[in-house]
Amino acid sequence: MSDSSEPPSGGVPLSISPGERTVLDLLRGATSRLNEEEVVEKLGLPADHVRGSLQRLRSKGLALLEEEHTTVWRLTPRGSAMLSEGLPERRLFALLRSRSSIGPEALRAEGFSEEEGSAAIGVLRRRALLAPGVPLRLREAPPPPEGPFPEEVALKGISDGASTVEPAAAESLVRRGLVRTESRSRKRWAASEEGRRLVLEPAGVEPIGALTGGLLATGVWKERPFRPYDVRAPPPFLTGARENPYLAWLEEFEEILVGLGFSEAEGPLLETEFWNNDVLFMPQDHPARSIHDALTVEGVVGRPPSAELLARVAAVHEGRALPGEPEPIGPGWGAGYDPEVARRPVLRSQTTAVSARFLAARPKAPFRMYSIDRNLRREEVDSRHHVEFRQSEGIVGEDGMTVRHLVGLFRELAEAIGIRELKIRPSYFPFTEPSIEGYVRHPRLGWMEVFPGGLFRPEVLRPLRVEVPVLAWGIGITRLAMVALGYNDIRELFADDLAVLAGESR
Amino acid sequence: MPRSTLSLGRVQELLPSPMTPEALVESLFSSKAEVEGREGDRLAVSVTPDRLDLLSEGGLAAWLAGAVGAARGIVPLRRARARGLGMRVETSVGALRPHLAGVVVRAPTGKRLDESLLAEAVRFQEMLHATIGRDRRAMSLGIYPARRLVGPIRYAAEPLASVRFVPLHGSDELPAARFFAEDPMAARYGSLGLSGESCLTLRDGTGALLSLPPVLNSANAGEARVGDRVLLLEATGTRERSVREGLGLLLVVFASRGWSLQPVPVEHANGAVDDGASLVGVRTVELEAATVRSISGEAWAASEVVERIARARLSARRAKGGWKVAVPPWRGDLLTGVDVAEDVLLAREVKAEVGIVPPSPTRGRRRPETAFRRRVGRLLLGLGFQQPHTPVLVSEASVQRLSESGALHLSNPVSRELAYLRDRLFLSHLEVLERNTRHGYPQRFAEVGPVVVRSSDAETGAATRYHASALLAGEGQGFAEAASLVDYLLRALDVGSVREPAELPGTIPGRAARVRVAGEPVAEFGEVHPKLLVEMGVPVPVVWAEVDLSALWPLTGGRDTA
Repeated sequence: MSDSSEPPSGGVPLSISPGERTVLDLLRGATSRLNEEEVVEKLGLPADHVRGSLQRLRSKGLALLEEEHTTVWRLTPRGSAMLSEGLPERRLFALLRSRSSIGPEALRAEGFSEEEGSAAIGVLRRRALLAPGVPLRLREAPPPPEGPFPEEVALKGISDGASTVEPAAAESLVRRGLVRTESRSRKRWAASEEGRRLVLEPAGVEPIGALTGGLLATGVWKERPFRPYDVRAPPPFLTGARENPYLAWLEEFEEILVGLGFSEAEGPLLETEFWNNDVLFMPQDHPARSIHDALTVEGVVGRPPSAELLARVAAVHEGRALPGEPEPIGPGWGAGYDPEVARRPVLRSQTTAVSARFLAARPKAPFRMYSIDRNLRREEVDSRHHVEFRQSEGIVGEDGMTVRHLVGLFRELAEAIGIRELKIRPSYFPFTEPSIEGYVRHPRLGWMEVFPGGLFRPEVLRPLRVEVPVLAWGIGITRLAMVALGYNDIRELFADDLAVLAGESR
Repeated sequence: MPRSTLSLGRVQELLPSPMTPEALVESLFSSKAEVEGREGDRLAVSVTPDRLDLLSEGGLAAWLAGAVGAARGIVPLRRARARGLGMRVETSVGALRPHLAGVVVRAPTGKRLDESLLAEAVRFQEMLHATIGRDRRAMSLGIYPARRLVGPIRYAAEPLASVRFVPLHGSDELPAARFFAEDPMAARYGSLGLSGESCLTLRDGTGALLSLPPVLNSANAGEARVGDRVLLLEATGTRERSVREGLGLLLVVFASRGWSLQPVPVEHANGAVDDGASLVGVRTVELEAATVRSISGEAWAASEVVERIARARLSARRAKGGWKVAVPPWRGDLLTGVDVAEDVLLAREVKAEVGIVPPSPTRGRRRPETAFRRRVGRLLLGLGFQQPHTPVLVSEASVQRLSESGALHLSNPVSRELAYLRDRLFLSHLEVLERNTRHGYPQRFAEVGPVVVRSSDAETGAATRYHASALLAGEGQGFAEAASLVDYLLRALDVGSVREPAELPGTIPGRAARVRVAGEPVAEFGEVHPKLLVEMGVPVPVVWAEVDLSALWPLTGGRDTA
């Protein structure tokens, strides 16, 4: 499309709405500028419609706005009081008329405050109404003028909203704190030269603005022209809802796992130490279990698992044989096992707890399970760390599964997210042996550790009566998502800026 | 991960063949150690918690020599032929810190303790205190000049009043009571060696005080110095396993430099005597050939397995069905055959190419309940609600704002901003609303996410449930908008519902409702109280609706068969 038309001032026929036309007609007929209130009053239309029409006429160059700034006077509360009580100079003047003289010290007894007394004396002296010296007396010649003082006239005038007030008297009242000033601006409108020249269609053949159901039903649209719109006018600001990019990315990753034959499992966010740690052969004094690393809650206590399972897990921790078996699996952790620790609540710190619960339910082999879920650890929040993070847990239970299969699945996952280079290095987790870590090469960021995993230890599987080898991983999906989405700060994943979510900056 | 700064030069001088720093760093990629930085001679290394031996120059050099095939088998454990130095645990120690072990190490001919070896030993000792020592609680180590000591070494708890002490690097003799009251080391570790009015002591046969375990050595009898040729290494602790492991790890520093080891017999309080031989020799772990096969997925010849064991700086003897593998004292991480199999596997780099993608014997699927939640999420998206993603933890201020919230308080939160587990999404969404007051209105957002509610039925004392919550903020938003939203969702999910008046925290009385399906409460909604809006600086009316999807799911006929 080419944009060959010119702006309205260049002579292209202007279109105006019926409302604008009504207002323009009024401005064209007016002999002087009108303010908004006058337009509203004369047309009898709602104020906001009139205001909108005036603004649109102005933007089309058909109306002119002149802003007039004026200062108005208003009585202060003290000024209002004086209006009814009388100004102090008037009261002193009246007093001296009824008595021939009075000492300044006696004014207090006559109801003058100290301030009023001095003000009254000052004003009367400036007006040359007092004889010199004390006591206070009115000057005898020339005779005092009759009628109100100029300040009295001004005070009354301001109170009544008079259009003219003597400025010197008003200023004097301002200084005395009886009157204050207020700035006012007044918008005054007139038709512009172009507005006056504009040829309007004869009234009565009103072009159609918004097409309405009524117009369609009556067929009126056939008889009247459509008013063309200003296609350049800015439209109302619209925002739509979009899928949260992080959640959408997680779903895509989930699709890959489902495609590889994995089924979803879920576990509670608030766990017991048993499921979060003990059953995973994490020693009860493991540093990651301390209050410095694991988050706990107040006011709830968990239940231990079945006595049978508890006994089996206690046996591997203590290096004893499982009940009914001749030999221990291994030497355990060389420390006692405390069942009270097992029931303490802890916020899930690894999705491996979900795997443990899944295995405890005795799934039928072969099985493939995944869980992409939140975990919480006691981390200080910064651009790389957050209390809350997600892992993508995956386990594969099948006869014959080995490290080679684990590496193969890592490779498959890496390729599915578009990464071809994978390196394996040794790692350590208390619950897997061997433990490895898959590093992938990101085109921009270089080698990154992405796939930590291993084979569950016999100390994990045998107490749960799992008979097949189980491959396990807990991918730091949060980091992977940050890389995929181009985020530099982990806090961006917890997006709650509605403008950002809408993909706009407002 | 445990980390330490090592001397690159001291690692290199222990290697049988020269290795450039670059080659060294590259080789370590296949180890459980990782080079985090290098500056001149300083090598910043972190290791996985099972391989603390790699945080000593000797241990790291031993691994590297094996990895490049320049050395095989266990670093030689030379036994010293020398006079014995026995140790005794007195009954007074009781249960305070009952375990004790010791080894004497002796420099090879012509060698002595030099400054850098002493520095390495002390640095490694402190790292061990911080890791397996659990900050000295489980285990702590001491290094003493054995030549200047007379046996037997006695480990006792003595009345504070009878103990005087010149602290290491100090010059004045102090009463022990004053040391425990004033010394910074005592302030940190004193409680581990004190019981009532007694403190733990280690003295030699002449009564000379070696140390106040686990706090500090004494200046004279307890100070190993440059030039010493024979040292007593000692460990005390509350856990026997940690005591033995800690001491075993410390030996790698000396054994890797050819120092010979001499067991120290320990007479325990119950009269039992441990000759200490197991601390200076190898222990055997059985490795079945089937274990190697089932873990690695490789059918290696026996010779390859033996070669790999040797490169891992272990040694193997053929046994029925596999091997008996000799393990040095610093490899306490090797508990069973599975652990040794890992060393076999990782003795050479595991290449990504060995990976096999196993064909899937199963068909994958999402949990039906997850699909249900997503469906609700999509319905809300279709209505034009933005999708924030909020943490499950909410601020103290948010919880206080809704006075009747049942949110669980963390006992050790990192901040007031993330101090409670939300029991409704409303808490998080008020925070979102408050953070978005700079943007224009109307605002509409919704989220499906977890909440945690107290539940005596739940195994953990609280249940994780999933809710959907929506907030509408803008002129003209009122009770009717929230009602029609909930009505729409329930209709779309094909359930009939009944509305009843409810008093809900944070809403205007008389303008909030609860919704039941088949008698069960499944949703709540209402107009947000202006008091909250004013507090948060929100200039427009707001309505909120929250649906308990975990309650609703079974009522829609949903059943999780996973």
